[in-house]
Amino acid sequence: MHRYASFLLIVTCLLQSPAAIAAITTTPVTTVEHALGEATIAGRPDRVVSLYQGATDTAVALGINPIGVVESWTEKPMYQYLREDLQGVTYLGLETQPDLERIAWLSPDLIVGARNRHRTIYPLLERIAPTVIPGNVYDFKALLTMMAKATGRTARGEELLTRWQERVADFRTRIRQKLGEQWPQEVAILSFRADHARIYYGGFARSVLDELGFTAPASHRQESWGIKLTSQESIPAMDAEAVFIFMEDDPAVQRTFNTWSSHPLWKNLKAVRQNDVYQVDPVTWNMGAGIIAANRMLDELYQHYDLHQPERQGCPRC
Amino acid sequence: MLTTPPAKTLGTLLCLGLLLAATVSSLIFGHIPVSLAMLINSLTDYDPGSLEHLVIHSERFSRTVTSVVVGAGLAIAGALMQTLTRNPLASPGILGINAGAMFFVVVGATLFSLTSPSQLVWAAFTGAATAAVLVYFLGQEAGRGVSPVRTVLAGVAVTALFVSFAQGLLILNQDRFESILFWLAGSVSGRDLDAIAPLLPLFGGALILALLLSRQLNLLGLDDEVIRGLGLRVGQVRLLIGLVVIVLAGTSVAMAGLIGFVGLIVPHMARGLFGTDHRWLLPLSAIIGATLLLAADTLARLVIPPQEIPVGVMTALLGTPLFLHLARHVRKVS
Amino acid sequence: MSRTLILRSRKDRWSIKLNTRVLVVTGALAVLLAVSSVLALTSGSHPTSFTNVLATLVAPNQSELALIILEIRLPRILMAILVGAALGSAGLILQGLVRNPLASPDVIGITSGASAAAVLFLWLGGVTGTSLLLAPVAMGGAFVVALGITALAWQKGISPARLVLVGVGLAAGLTAVTTLLLVLSPDATAMNAYIWLTGSLYASQWHDVTALAPWLMACWPLALIKLRHLDAQSMGEDMALGLGSALQGHRLLFLMLAVALAGSAVAYAGAVGFIGLIAPHMARRLVNSGHTGLLPIAALIGALILLYADWVGRVAFIPRDLPAGIFVAGIGAPFFVYLLYRLRRELG
Repeated sequence: MHRYASFLLIVTCLLQSPAAIAAITTTPVTTVEHALGEATIAGRPDRVVSLYQGATDTAVALGINPIGVVESWTEKPMYQYLREDLQGVTYLGLETQPDLERIAWLSPDLIVGARNRHRTIYPLLERIAPTVIPGNVYDFKALLTMMAKATGRTARGEELLTRWQERVADFRTRIRQKLGEQWPQEVAILSFRADHARIYYGGFARSVLDELGFTAPASHRQESWGIKLTSQESIPAMDAEAVFIFMEDDPAVQRTFNTWSSHPLWKNLKAVRQNDVYQVDPVTWNMGAGIIAANRMLDELYQHYDLHQPERQGCPRC
Repeated sequence: MLTTPPAKTLGTLLCLGLLLAATVSSLIFGHIPVSLAMLINSLTDYDPGSLEHLVIHSERFSRTVTSVVVGAGLAIAGALMQTLTRNPLASPGILGINAGAMFFVVVGATLFSLTSPSQLVWAAFTGAATAAVLVYFLGQEAGRGVSPVRTVLAGVAVTALFVSFAQGLLILNQDRFESILFWLAGSVSGRDLDAIAPLLPLFGGALILALLLSRQLNLLGLDDEVIRGLGLRVGQVRLLIGLVVIVLAGTSVAMAGLIGFVGLIVPHMARGLFGTDHRWLLPLSAIIGATLLLAADTLARLVIPPQEIPVGVMTALLGTPLFLHLARHVRKVS
Repeated sequence: MSRTLILRSRKDRWSIKLNTRVLVVTGALAVLLAVSSVLALTSGSHPTSFTNVLATLVAPNQSELALIILEIRLPRILMAILVGAALGSAGLILQGLVRNPLASPDVIGITSGASAAAVLFLWLGGVTGTSLLLAPVAMGGAFVVALGITALAWQKGISPARLVLVGVGLAAGLTAVTTLLLVLSPDATAMNAYIWLTGSLYASQWHDVTALAPWLMACWPLALIKLRHLDAQSMGEDMALGLGSALQGHRLLFLMLAVALAGSAVAYAGAVGFIGLIAPHMARRLVNSGHTGLLPIAALIGALILLYADWVGRVAFIPRDLPAGIFVAGIGAPFFVYLLYRLRRELG
């Protein structure tokens, strides 16, 4: 923050001379509008702090090594798929309550937070460094665009988005060829926990599947994030042509899943009868929430549907 | 209030009728519609291929049984507590039993990574017992045995103690938090009857003991001197009743999580209708308690399908207005 | 008879009788609080030396260190002091009002009312989660519950016993509502809510301090002036009426004062329990005085408890930040049980 103040001072001094105009165009100032206001960023920030999972993912995708990130929810302290790129990073505690002192001490150039978590600390974050807060944690493309602009890596961001769109188009073509009449396929997203099961009506995985052309059962097309089910009687509510399930590697969770999946109502599900029940990686489907996770999720889908993937030249993270 | 035996018998039959109606409702209502005819069909001519019959035999049946057992257990435990402490506001929730069970379950889930239902059931039971013993001893008055007021206050203290420690543990282990959230909120669904089975003999024994002690219980309301004069060994009876309460309340909590208000409200309803004679009070509390919990569970399923409101929340929502009404009219809290 | 100091205005228009022991204890506690605060300013996930802290306080600059000390730690410490003091005072008033040494804002249902309102707000807010409206909403909840309690407990006046009963009942009902909302909400909201329910001072900022302080500045002088009526009431209702105390009016006033103090404290720090219970007791053990003298002492003790609890929460599990409420309960709950044991004679 104080760097910006001194920059402003220099600019005002330089404005006394005609050479000032030339000076200004070589130090760009970016204004980024976000959910909680406007951030003014000088130059090309390299010291980036990420306060939620999606931002960490996106930072790595953009080729930035963040200096501080919050811990992951599982595979602590950081998900396997990002760990290599995040060697030597400073961990800032949990996403819900990041360590403010550590953030301040790192002296970052840019902070990226999430609205639903960091709204209260936003005034403090702003004083530490320019802060951007995307409105929706699930919209990884908006996040990518925002972070690309904020970090002055718009070219890279656009490249990532274009590649994503190419992949999506390719997937849609191939799956239509593969499934023919059965496309678009109606798909449900489920999760099992230690003492209940969940259906996801919205969220990251759902938005990716929607983009790829999958549809959702009528009862799943709702505004809320989803529901928690405690009674096995509600199993029919989970029904769809195909079902994707993710869950933690935990004995209690496994036990719950076994109980539910051995219930006669489960065996009655369309997806089960057609043998279209897939277990997927909880990290990429539910927690990563960034462009890299989206790409990995797409990889898994290619694999499940046994579709041939085109060559991916020279793009390590897309 | 019904005073004569014929009136009481009639009242009892009415209550049994209500219980039957509640049982039938519990078996019929739910996410998957089942008609009365289908229900009867499933009992007489069970067809494993039929979806409705399956649902009735698995889900609905276990819920109904659990509700009846837990409802009856909590109601009788509440009635006994109220007599024992001579306090109309005593109940398993207020006397710290729920909190003790909660704490031990949280400790089991977080520190010992216990996950199987049967393990957690024993953890809950041990916790309930520990809390009850603690409250019992804290509620003693030097040389005069159980003091009603101090027992309630001890209950409040012990509840505060256990609940805050449990909360602390849950925040330190945020990933375990949601795996017991539903248990904490009280639930009779999906109960693995096999996990509960070992507790049922204990439960039954305690129940029988309570009914056998009905006559002595009638005398406990009197002054200690008078009771001793009548030849009753007060200390022994109190101890036995205490044990019965621990078993009944403990097993109920272990089976269904934290369900409040049933142990508090039901004895009052029973007393209001049938008087304070424990030979009537106890069985009827059991019947009314079972009916209430069945009704609460059925309602809980119907409000926001396919999601369910935890039954403990339902009983609290129904029970709070009743409790407040009671609190307003309590003459004296000694 | 303890030594007293009598201050009189000119022409004897008013006089104040001060117990010297109260003055000494208050002074000592205030000094302890000041020293502890400065020491607390030196600790955090980034330890700072004493001299650095003093230098920053005296001559603030724009460095990261100054930011940490002045914007992150200092408001948080001040909040701990204010909230702890408010809760301690509220507990003292309630215990005097209800004439029961185990009364406190948690038992009466004020905390539950604030909690229910806050959790409801978090649930309705959904994705927007925590916001700057949370505190006023929680305070509103506390007031609504207090009004409800008064209305329900009012039968030609408020009997202290009935007040406790109604409070307990409402608290239980509200806990059910809170549990329901926790169960129905997505994980982020549920954990936010649960942390709030345990009582946490994380992310306290200057705007929180400036929002809370006026409430307390309004309540404390009023309490100090009126508290002598509580002493009158403890001598029995007839005595109090005889001494010219407007019984029901004062009872209502004290209830509202306690609600304002506790409600605003809970609104900013979440549902911190126990301070309202144990601070007055500790105050009584230090000083034998009427309520007026006890008020500053209970407030200072409450402030010290929360300051230390928050300190531990900040530094014991770095980089995790644990809610102060856990540590308050760690001391408070066993103390509560001990209190019960000690008071067995009086409570029979």
